[in-house]
Amino acid sequence: MSRFRPPPWLVLLLPAIIILTAVVMIPLLLSLYSSFTPYRLTRPETLYKWIGTFNYEKAMKSAHFWAAFGRTILLLTIALNLEMLMGLGLALLVNKVTYGQRALRTVMMFPMMFSPILVGFQFKFIFNDNVGLVNNALQSLGLSNVAIPWLVDGQLAFTAILVAEMWSSTSVFAILILAGLFAVPRDPIEAAKVDGCTPWQSFRHITLPYIMPFIYIALAIRSLDVARAYDIVQIMTNGGPARRTELLWTLIGRTGYVDAKMGYANAMGYISIFLAIFFTIYFFRKLNAARSELGMAG
Amino acid sequence: MNENLLHRIRGRLLKALHFVTLFIAMAIICVPGLWVVLNSFRPTVEIMAKPPVWVPGELNLDNYRAMFGAVGEGGVPVLQYFTNSLIISVTSTLIAILVGMAGGYAFARYRFKGKASIFIGLMLTRAVPGVSLSLPLFIVMAKTGLIDTHIGLILVYVALNVPFTIWLIDGFFRQVPVELAEAAEIDGCTRWQAFWKVEFPVARAGVASAGIFAFLTSWNEYALASQLTRSTFSKTMPVGLRDFTSEFTINWGGMCALAVLMIIPALILTFLVQKHLIAGLTFGGVKG
Amino acid sequence: MAQVHLQKVVKKYGSLQVVHGIDLEIADNEFVVLVGPSGCGKSTTLRMIAGLEAISGGEIKIGERLVNDLPPRHRNISMVFQNYALYPHMTVRENLGFSLKIAKRPQQEIDKAVDEAAQILSLTEYMDRKPGALSGGQRQRVAMGRAIVRHPEVFLFDEPLSNLDAKLRTQMRTEIKKLHQKVKSTIVYVTHDQVEAMTLADRIVIMRDGYIEQVGTPLDVFETPANTFVATFIGSPPMNLLHGRVTGNEIAIDGGPAIGVPEPFTGKVQEGQKVILGFRADNLMPYGHAMPMESGCAEFDMTVNLSEPLGTETLLFGSLAGKEVQAKMLNPRPVADGERLQFRLDLARCHLFDADSQQALR
Repeated sequence: MSRFRPPPWLVLLLPAIIILTAVVMIPLLLSLYSSFTPYRLTRPETLYKWIGTFNYEKAMKSAHFWAAFGRTILLLTIALNLEMLMGLGLALLVNKVTYGQRALRTVMMFPMMFSPILVGFQFKFIFNDNVGLVNNALQSLGLSNVAIPWLVDGQLAFTAILVAEMWSSTSVFAILILAGLFAVPRDPIEAAKVDGCTPWQSFRHITLPYIMPFIYIALAIRSLDVARAYDIVQIMTNGGPARRTELLWTLIGRTGYVDAKMGYANAMGYISIFLAIFFTIYFFRKLNAARSELGMAG
Repeated sequence: MNENLLHRIRGRLLKALHFVTLFIAMAIICVPGLWVVLNSFRPTVEIMAKPPVWVPGELNLDNYRAMFGAVGEGGVPVLQYFTNSLIISVTSTLIAILVGMAGGYAFARYRFKGKASIFIGLMLTRAVPGVSLSLPLFIVMAKTGLIDTHIGLILVYVALNVPFTIWLIDGFFRQVPVELAEAAEIDGCTRWQAFWKVEFPVARAGVASAGIFAFLTSWNEYALASQLTRSTFSKTMPVGLRDFTSEFTINWGGMCALAVLMIIPALILTFLVQKHLIAGLTFGGVKG
Repeated sequence: MAQVHLQKVVKKYGSLQVVHGIDLEIADNEFVVLVGPSGCGKSTTLRMIAGLEAISGGEIKIGERLVNDLPPRHRNISMVFQNYALYPHMTVRENLGFSLKIAKRPQQEIDKAVDEAAQILSLTEYMDRKPGALSGGQRQRVAMGRAIVRHPEVFLFDEPLSNLDAKLRTQMRTEIKKLHQKVKSTIVYVTHDQVEAMTLADRIVIMRDGYIEQVGTPLDVFETPANTFVATFIGSPPMNLLHGRVTGNEIAIDGGPAIGVPEPFTGKVQEGQKVILGFRADNLMPYGHAMPMESGCAEFDMTVNLSEPLGTETLLFGSLAGKEVQAKMLNPRPVADGERLQFRLDLARCHLFDADSQQALR
């Protein structure tokens, strides 16, 4: 008669599983359930009324929802791509430095220490039409004699948010890609040089395939963390003016907390969760593909 | 001769271009932060001046004095927020490290069925956007009475940090050769002793950096904290930043001072950990 | 086809000088091996020829062209690296054809060159594998194949065999030698292994601490080493060196027997001069187990501390004048440790170095 003994790995993983179940899974199940009810914070009894997929249908028919959805995808696509390119550029620049590189690397990590909400306030300040750094500089240099309404005009506000988001996250890419560049063996690069490659060709044919996995790691990490943008947007414009910078997350927050329509907000929340999971899995798959390309799998 | 000269000149030009580009890039990274620091030492009048004052006329500690004063400027209890942040971040980090170390060790050292899916499953919990999670959490916490308490936020941050901590620590333990623990066991250690006496010390730097990373996440988190805290008793600094805003005006000077207070611990910790952090992220990912 | 010409080539890293103005002429089609202990500057020299390291002073010419500042791609060279440096994400075929593809040669020509190289190195079976799926020897061959498809003017080899096991190394050494006969071009080859240097080279360049110690054919450097460093570096086991002083027409070994001044050196040494007597194990043999000696020989007793039977011969370790001395025994019989034997030293094959300058007396 031997008592059942769980395998050691399960014992070790149990605390993690318990806490994630309690704090993430159970609330998510609750929110899944509530997304099928007309639950409002102010009227608890609404939690027990089943309305099927009404909330989802409502979201699907809502122009506000689709505008926010499209804008979120647009922001993510532009931001992730630009951050990746600029991060790559920055990493290449720093990688070429031989003297004082440690200091530069440290400076490069500077924006990573800033809380996203701080980034939001900082750029709200910088893009302030009256006392902001950008307008002050433009006016003092005589490039513009009017105060540009950075955070009031829809297009400009989107740009301003993009700049803030890129400032805060480009360094994540730069750091990870730099780590990738350090890991590129020197020999194949030299072999390529001897084989007749121009610097661009060695980069394109040798260095890039080597750092692709690192680029995808950065993309995966960033997409895990992409809702950081919520903090920035919430502070800079809070979706305004007149919903012109509304993202999925600000829409959810407003619907849930300001309008107190929890059921509806949770339905949209689920859509945002699937969006994030989609991006993450997509990049993880790319990562694996890039790894097996280099024969590093397994 | 000509050919050589041409290549030499081109090399020099590229070097100069490289230097200039690098300088501009670094300036863009530094200026916004430095501007905040600078403004925290300037009187509000000067910050708001039109036309702008480029060369600061006077630098003083008024904003800091107001911040730490009995009734902070505008009545923002900065010290209380600082304490809250510290308690919540440190406690949640410690717990996350313990939980993450157990989990990371399991992934690094044991083979079991469905390992990859469990790993991805854990990671995906991190992909849930803060706002989306905050809605149901708000309901649960309200029901269990954990809302507006330190414990509530600590639990949330542990859950937030565990996946990433597992990722990092897994990577670090993988770099410790299995033979090391085996040698220790042959030398007479139990598995438990082998871990604490041999494997843990070797991976300690990595564990520390995972901890600092977790600390920074908790320290800087806003989306969840803004909904799960209500009073001065539990508000953290990122939430406290909002106290400087009112309907139409923002106290920029005071806010900049609080921002500096928030950044300094983050700055110190990041410097300490930067090398290990990069190694951890990439080892965890690439050597999969 | 091209010669390589180095004139007063210097390499500095900041204030640290690692190559001190070396001069070297390498003829067309010549197989030159740079050899020396690690840190002697041999790899740096090779990399300067390749253009992978900038030169800090002097001139490098390939053919008649000055290449001081040219990037590697303009030098018409190929290089085989120590760690193979294969492109891990390309198949063997793509690896071999990469340089031609970069040069935008027509596909037909690329295929032809690649197939030809694959034939020479018997790689045809592995063409669609990636380097990760090849053994060490196969990777090495791919690396060589990649070098030959381009038909460069100069081949550079940077310790190409050091990652292979002993058996493969011998085999690849032969292949490299054959390859040189087939493709007929100038080869500069770096190694720290003197056996490799001896077997492959037309001429050996022995380097130490950024200076060239001696240049010569393998037999030259073996038989007439220019100084004590070359004497101990080339040949295995290393040459025995004993300090002594010239007295009359004998050399009194410090704390040991006196040995007649070897005939080639009579009249070239002065009374009282401090010298170093050098001789190889092959020329010190126990009485009755020796080769006939052409002219004079010295005889003395020595205790054998240790013997290493190698089959056809036995290596004996004795001590003479407090120094360990190695000798060889032909047609060996078992030797007990501590046995005292009478040895004969072939004076005609001894070397004499000046003790102060360490240079050979000629």
